[in-house]
Amino acid sequence: MNPPTRKAPSPVAFIVIAVLVGVHVLAWQGTGFSPGALVEGWRGMADFLDQAFPPDLGVLGDSLDAAVITLYIGLLGTTFSIPFALLLGVLASRVTTPNSWTYQIARSILSVLRSVPDVVFALIFVTAVGLGPFAGVLALVFHNTGVMGKLWAEAMEETDPGPREALRVAGASGAQTAVNAVLPAVLPQMVGLLLYRFDVNVRSSLVLGLVGAGGIGFLINQSIKLFRFDQMVTHIIVVVIVVVLVDQFSAYVRRKLAT
Amino acid sequence: MGIQITGLRKSFAGKQVLAGVDLTVAPGEFVAVLGANGSGKSTVLRCAVGLQRPDSGTVDIDGGAAMVFQQIHLVGRRSALDNVCSGALGRLKLRQSLVFSRDIRREAMDCLDRVGLADRAGDRAGRLSGGQQQRVAIARALCQRAKVILADEPVSALDPSAAEQVVSLLASLAEEGLAVLAVLHQPELAQRFAHRIVGLNQGKVAFETTAAAMDTQAVNSLYEGAR
Repeated sequence: MNPPTRKAPSPVAFIVIAVLVGVHVLAWQGTGFSPGALVEGWRGMADFLDQAFPPDLGVLGDSLDAAVITLYIGLLGTTFSIPFALLLGVLASRVTTPNSWTYQIARSILSVLRSVPDVVFALIFVTAVGLGPFAGVLALVFHNTGVMGKLWAEAMEETDPGPREALRVAGASGAQTAVNAVLPAVLPQMVGLLLYRFDVNVRSSLVLGLVGAGGIGFLINQSIKLFRFDQMVTHIIVVVIVVVLVDQFSAYVRRKLAT
Repeated sequence: MGIQITGLRKSFAGKQVLAGVDLTVAPGEFVAVLGANGSGKSTVLRCAVGLQRPDSGTVDIDGGAAMVFQQIHLVGRRSALDNVCSGALGRLKLRQSLVFSRDIRREAMDCLDRVGLADRAGDRAGRLSGGQQQRVAIARALCQRAKVILADEPVSALDPSAAEQVVSLLASLAEEGLAVLAVLHQPELAQRFAHRIVGLNQGKVAFETTAAAMDTQAVNSLYEGAR
């Protein structure tokens, strides 16, 4: 018996491929993508690497102190956003908020918080509270509320509708159903997402340091400005170790939660 | 009075599912509804409890109705006791439903005791067997303090011995004075435990009989008609 013959690809597929290729050509030109420049400029990189190595381990103590600050920024930026993310998440989830006005408003607030990058929040808060880690914490709280609130709202919407229906039939209100059926069911996913956000926020707080919000990012920025690339490399090694450790920790806890 | 359903009609997208159903269950009575898939059994219950709005007809319920589902619908991660407590939510304020009071927990414990699961109160609902979970769901219905229990295929997902245990529990609750209306798929369980049996066919009551007088032929014809 002959297998069914394969269908010829439709003209739509060719059009899609042609458009994708076209967009990539435009992007290549738009970004000034030029491998030649990279080859010609190898000497600049060689100079840079020559100055960067061996790393100056004399700043290791400062580096570790600043890394702890970076972790603190990521930690507070995550935990202090929990109450706001929880409130807005519950209000921005269809299963817990039947009122469509409330739902739309909560979703809009989350969208705004999410679409303003944390670096922009940091620049704003630096002007208010000055340079330092506190501005970084505030920036993360605002941005992370937007992201985590949305992730939590979506997790709530994916819960089994059965227990909600059962409690509704028993006369429970929307808020009672949220507290007694939705949140208990979704708690492991919420904790998993929280750890994932902690992981992301520690990495973000490095970037926030570059704009003056304290932590090890600030040291990296300073060493670049002073052309002390050997010190910068020490900071970057510490950053890599911290990021890997946080990543491993959050992956480990999430694995434990899944079982 | 228990529950009195009169002239219930319901159509979905132009297709008539209930064509005027009359049904009464008195306090202390256990009535089983038999019928093929699509005969309208579940729709009767869902209309009765307010999950669906009938096109016409009336449902009179004395003292509130609680619902037990085929898919059980417990929160698997919560303890059996917390699941039972949540049956009381309808009479609690929001602030009382964040952490259940000692009184509610004690009442829920009594309900669990009535279904024979007081010793599993602290276990996560998801860890219990299917039959135990359905009994917890019945305890939740009891904690609602309803006088009428509506059970929509409560044992269709259970193995035969668990099914028998659950149906016999429903029968004993009727003995205690509740009005119990259960959709079943097992005529023999209906005959053994229910007082009255109602056969539903194409949205109409095809027959209504005492369990003792149940006519096997009539029951079989319910399922043949659907083929």
